[in-house]
Amino acid sequence: MNLPRGLIQIWAAAIKNWIITKRNVFSLFEILFWPVVGFFSVGLLTHFLKLNADMVGFILVGVISMSVIQVCQIDVAYVFLYDLWSKSLKHTFIAPVHPFQLILGAWLIGILRSFVVFLLLSLLSTLAFGFDVLRPGLGPLLLFLLGLFFISALIGISVCILVLLFGYKAEVAAWSITSLMALICGIYYPISILPSPLLQIARAIPLTYFLEYLRSFYGFSGDGKLLGWGFGQIGVYLAIEAILFKMVLRRARRTGVFIKLSE
Amino acid sequence: MALAIKAEGIFKTFRSGWWGRKQKLVLKGIDLQIETGEIFGVLGPNGAGKTTLVSILSTLLIPDQGKIQILGFDGLQDGQRIREKVNISSGNANFLWSLTVQENLHLYGMLYGLTGHRREEKIKALIQLFNLEEHQDTTFDRLSTGMKQRLSLAKSLLNDPAVLFLDEPTVGLDPSVSIMIREQIRMIQKEREMTVLLTTHNMKEAEFLCHRIAFLKEGEILTTGTAETLKRMVRMGDLVKIEFKGTILEDELLRADGVINYGITGNLCEIIVDDGERRLGNLIALLSQGGAQIKKVTLGQTDLEDVFIEFAKGTDSNMGGGD
Repeated sequence: MNLPRGLIQIWAAAIKNWIITKRNVFSLFEILFWPVVGFFSVGLLTHFLKLNADMVGFILVGVISMSVIQVCQIDVAYVFLYDLWSKSLKHTFIAPVHPFQLILGAWLIGILRSFVVFLLLSLLSTLAFGFDVLRPGLGPLLLFLLGLFFISALIGISVCILVLLFGYKAEVAAWSITSLMALICGIYYPISILPSPLLQIARAIPLTYFLEYLRSFYGFSGDGKLLGWGFGQIGVYLAIEAILFKMVLRRARRTGVFIKLSE
Repeated sequence: MALAIKAEGIFKTFRSGWWGRKQKLVLKGIDLQIETGEIFGVLGPNGAGKTTLVSILSTLLIPDQGKIQILGFDGLQDGQRIREKVNISSGNANFLWSLTVQENLHLYGMLYGLTGHRREEKIKALIQLFNLEEHQDTTFDRLSTGMKQRLSLAKSLLNDPAVLFLDEPTVGLDPSVSIMIREQIRMIQKEREMTVLLTTHNMKEAEFLCHRIAFLKEGEILTTGTAETLKRMVRMGDLVKIEFKGTILEDELLRADGVINYGITGNLCEIIVDDGERRLGNLIALLSQGGAQIKKVTLGQTDLEDVFIEFAKGTDSNMGGGD
């Protein structure tokens, strides 16, 4: 791959998401309204239940993580969803660009937007609930965030795969996969309370390990090995998704998905 | 001359329903050879398989069977390299709705790897070429159909393609806009000497733009040739109407070069010839020498649509082969 050319193509997807984001009033809802509303709803509930500081921390870590992932993954999914909604998929796929370049570009904007969400919620959690986000230290916090960004990429790519497989029927996945993860990965409660089959599923999702890792700095059990598990799983899933994506792309070129979704 | 596009035995079936039980054979063994710098038209009614053919040749779709070569590259193996050298513009064009004309062109320019200054210059020139200056800051969803089509054509030239696919480029446009778009296509092709594959169901468009035309019906190419060749092949030559006084020597008329058929009703003689413009002088001379006094001559040309209808009827049994 010619590097400058490859970088320009990656940048194209980032610019596309950026322009549409800044022009769309609903994107403000995505990064400000919903995360803040969700954050305060749960935060005030902890206040009402008179939970101690550790428990409040436990829950706020989950809420912040959930918002970061939701905002970042939707940007990755948008890279094809915008084309799907505008019926312009075929023009993107006739260009000499690899879809992973598009995904990478969109992911960069996702990281930027979700980092804004992280900063905002961190600030609010300190001001409103006295939660110290920086207690784990900058290094562990950055590793935790990196994990969340990669998990977002995994979810976003899954949505892209589903869109190329099922077209419009799959767009709902962009909003529902994260909620499903919230149920299983221990956003609001420890996964130990889950029934055995769900517990096994939770252990197969990297977010579980990253949450446990960060919570270990707030008085809950856990250690650095959790990061290894989390990143290890991310690596495996990224490899699987790369193979799946290639297969789905070939299928799309065989079945005429790009043409059907551009009419 | 070198071939820009070569396709052999292209078959394509679309499957639908549960587990793809419903099957529709859309292309049935298409063979094509298109020379570099040629405007080649694929003419056919809706549902003939034109868009499917263009999609396969432009690497958007993989055929079930067959071989494709685009600019010497294997159409099934070298998709990425082909995509660098081709582009497409379709009728009823769609681009990102909330991006302006300029932003859409920049986005696609970047996808084709154009760098900052080069991209700026290129987009400026294309906006000028397609008279989009006034609308360059208008978002796509606010453009008229004609403007959208011009944007589509501008986008299709961003990478200076060696092969340009135009899929029904004037469908749904006002006649005046269609004429302007056709003029622009012809001018651009002439200037850039690129190969153009144009699909259309508009006979006039094909005749106006294309060096050669293939008739596509129900996934099969019925025949290929220049507009003139095709007209001759169906023996539907030009109609010469001559009003006369006196007599006409019918035997000599029938033996005259290029005469396919004739009929005389009163003082009106209708003669079908292979090439009206070429034969007219000889015909008038022949009739005058035979004693007829020519009063009025009109020359009518056979429409390509009539030729297509003849082919579609399956009257090719008494026709010669295409070129």
